[in-house]
Amino acid sequence: ERSKPKRKYRYWDVPPVGYEHVTPLQYKAMQAAGQIPLVASS
Amino acid sequence: CSRLHNKPTFSQTILIQGLYQNPQINNTAAGTFTDVEMQEHYDNFFEEVFVELEEKYGSIEEMNVCDNLGDHLVGNVYVKFHKEEDAEKAVNDLNNRWFNGQPILSELSTVTDFREACCR
Repeated sequence: ERSKPKRKYRYWDVPPVGYEHVTPLQYKAMQAAGQIPLVASS
Repeated sequence: CSRLHNKPTFSQTILIQGLYQNPQINNTAAGTFTDVEMQEHYDNFFEEVFVELEEKYGSIEEMNVCDNLGDHLVGNVYVKFHKEEDAEKAVNDLNNRWFNGQPILSELSTVTDFREACCR
């Protein structure tokens, strides 16, 4: 039986640089509070 | 259109806002892209999104990516699942995932027929 090779994604689950320690929900809350810009460079 | 659309409680269709980043919009000194390169970039994006969504959340009936340059729809991805519960599961989980260095913004959408998708 052949096992499916693990797919390497380019986009999924890639956090913004410097914000690896927060969750996406926390990040969005920080954006809403004006603590970080809406479009951060990735 | 005020763009203040009604948000459904149940739907087979989800909207993921601004997921597709057209390389020609955020072109930062990387030069211009040929049509072939643009198509390749889009195809890779489409496959990666489609495969992950279907594997993780459920069978997809249809998926559409808005690629109209410079308007409010740009980069929006609409995904219609076969089952409402898969759509709900997807929205809840996607809102706590990253994609390409950004948090995903996802919600249920009223769109059921993409050829008739127009705000009235």
